[in-house]
Amino acid sequence: MKKLLLALMLVPLAFAAWESTAAIAIVLSATLVGILYAVGFGFGVNELQLTAKEEFFQLIAMMVMMVTLVGANGLIDSISRNDAFAQGSNTMQEAAGAIVDSNKAALVGVFDTLSAFDMKVSKEASKAAQCSFMGIGYSISGCGGFSMLSTPLSMGGGIAGFAIGELSAMRKLLDISSAYALNFILPLGILMRTFKVTRGAGGFLIALAISMHILLPAGIIFNEMLGVTFKNDAAAWADYSAGATASIPDCNAADVSSGYVGLGEEMTDNEKAAIDGYNSLRTDIRAYIYEALIRATLGPVLSLLMMMAGIRAIASIAGADVDISPIARFV
Amino acid sequence: MAGNIICGPEFSAFFGTTIMPFVAYAAIITATLIALAFMVGRAINNPKVSLWAKTEIIQLGISLGAIFIITTVVNTFCVIDVREVATIFGLPDPGSHNIYDAAKDFLKGAALYSHNAVSVVRYHLQAYTVLAYLNAFICDFSTGNIGWGCLFGYGGENQQPLGGYGVQTAALNIAFNSALISHFTSLNFIFILLFVYRGFVFLFLPLGIFLRAMPYLRGLGSLFISLAMAFLIVYPFMLSVFYLMKDTLFDGTDYTPMPIGMGSYDESVFPDAENGAEQFFAVSTLGEGYVKDRYFGSDKENPTGALAFAANAFIVAVFFPTIALIATIASVTYVARLFGEEIDLSRITQLV
Repeated sequence: MKKLLLALMLVPLAFAAWESTAAIAIVLSATLVGILYAVGFGFGVNELQLTAKEEFFQLIAMMVMMVTLVGANGLIDSISRNDAFAQGSNTMQEAAGAIVDSNKAALVGVFDTLSAFDMKVSKEASKAAQCSFMGIGYSISGCGGFSMLSTPLSMGGGIAGFAIGELSAMRKLLDISSAYALNFILPLGILMRTFKVTRGAGGFLIALAISMHILLPAGIIFNEMLGVTFKNDAAAWADYSAGATASIPDCNAADVSSGYVGLGEEMTDNEKAAIDGYNSLRTDIRAYIYEALIRATLGPVLSLLMMMAGIRAIASIAGADVDISPIARFV
Repeated sequence: MAGNIICGPEFSAFFGTTIMPFVAYAAIITATLIALAFMVGRAINNPKVSLWAKTEIIQLGISLGAIFIITTVVNTFCVIDVREVATIFGLPDPGSHNIYDAAKDFLKGAALYSHNAVSVVRYHLQAYTVLAYLNAFICDFSTGNIGWGCLFGYGGENQQPLGGYGVQTAALNIAFNSALISHFTSLNFIFILLFVYRGFVFLFLPLGIFLRAMPYLRGLGSLFISLAMAFLIVYPFMLSVFYLMKDTLFDGTDYTPMPIGMGSYDESVFPDAENGAEQFFAVSTLGEGYVKDRYFGSDKENPTGALAFAANAFIVAVFFPTIALIATIASVTYVARLFGEEIDLSRITQLV
């Protein structure tokens, strides 16, 4: 044990930058363990000696983790740069970022299209003709039928807006992960794991860093791969690939003429125009489903779930039994 | 504020004159009880009582050791400069702060960031509501804004020229709720931090020392010391770690993501009783474009940017502080194991 403690003391000589800080932490911890063992030995307290021995094994585990990390840095990096994941980008993080950006741009397009429809529908629905002369007149809300279109469009806007929010949050997490996961959170987690008091938090940070760096982008890329596989099935994709073609007809508020028969009743021109608008919007729904539900809603949920599962699994490997249910509830 | 409480003279006075005497009293009373128990054990020749006393004196030493560690770490945190930590990890300069100040500043930044998100989303919602309810009467036979159909009577079409925005309003309402929750959550975390700094955790120290040595109460005493250790060491430390990531988390020093500038969203632009008449006159002569420009001129209209801002606020003000709390609670469990106790705090995390 004495020789191993001495070896631990020499650890700082082998590292630089954050590694040296982690090594100093290990040496400090080793010194404390040594003192603890000496006190236990001196006063004949078995509990202290046992605690010191357990901590000593934790220190060795820590050393193994540090060495693994230095080696795993290259492994993680090679996973990041793997062509299958990186998909033409330098790293899988960049690839995931590009996918999220592209999804968000597409969804902003959907949002703008829905918004344009809503503007047109609301303007037409608000029209009411009035005419008065010498105190006698009339007022007709001939375009009231168009108001039925506002509710589904608002609902669509809510879904698209929520999905834009999800993608923006994903992008933020990816940015944070790229900037800090490997060069800050991971070494800090290792540093904290060295000391008994902060071991739980340290294990959790290690798990967070690895999950954010690998599993979060992997989930995004995985979802995109699923989408591409689906798109490759031309027959299945055909229904969803058509662009938006809907149009909202103009409404003439004063026009109460009729001549069409629908639903067994005679309809005015304006009612027919509103129903035509509804039918064209209904047909267009499939054009938005892939962007809004698959790429922008399922994708983030999938990658976040992968990240949560990763945190739980890696944290328990790192010796921190962490209840991540509060974060899981965010999904 | 909080940093001064922990690291300033006010805290030193509080700790030195209130907490440490309590700790000393608790230790002396506990040691006296243990000594009495030991003597009684010897007097009545009961080895169980003597053994209990021997065990408890060691536990008392462990409790005092834990308090020594807490005090030392708190003092160390007061002198650690996060700027130096940032230098070690090659991060941008966050300014000179101790750990407790940095923790407080992170949560203050999260509150400011989420409040900015609330303001931007709120501005859009207000503006869209004003625009959507704007009414115009388009007279028949019009030439420009002059409708000849209204010259002798009142013939034309009533409409809401900017009557849409249901899509934006629906989406922004969700974002507004989310941003509000984010802001309240950050305020809640600030409250927890200040509550910790202002002393409740310190009172756990003397209580923990005393209770750990009492029969059947070791678990409670261990929980108290573990809570003190985790909330005084791990919680501020985790928050200060996130403070070092502020450049990315808070999108720079403006606490707003580009290209949104808070200066553009001045809510005094919304009409009140004084300028309502002016607005009506301007609308009737200059048209709805004037009103829209008034609220959304200079490219201020950015509903998807506002949605993204609210989502970012959730990450900054809910996700990361919650991670700090989870790590803290994980540490409570871990520290309790140091004292030989198994404490399940998973129910507390469900409150988050």
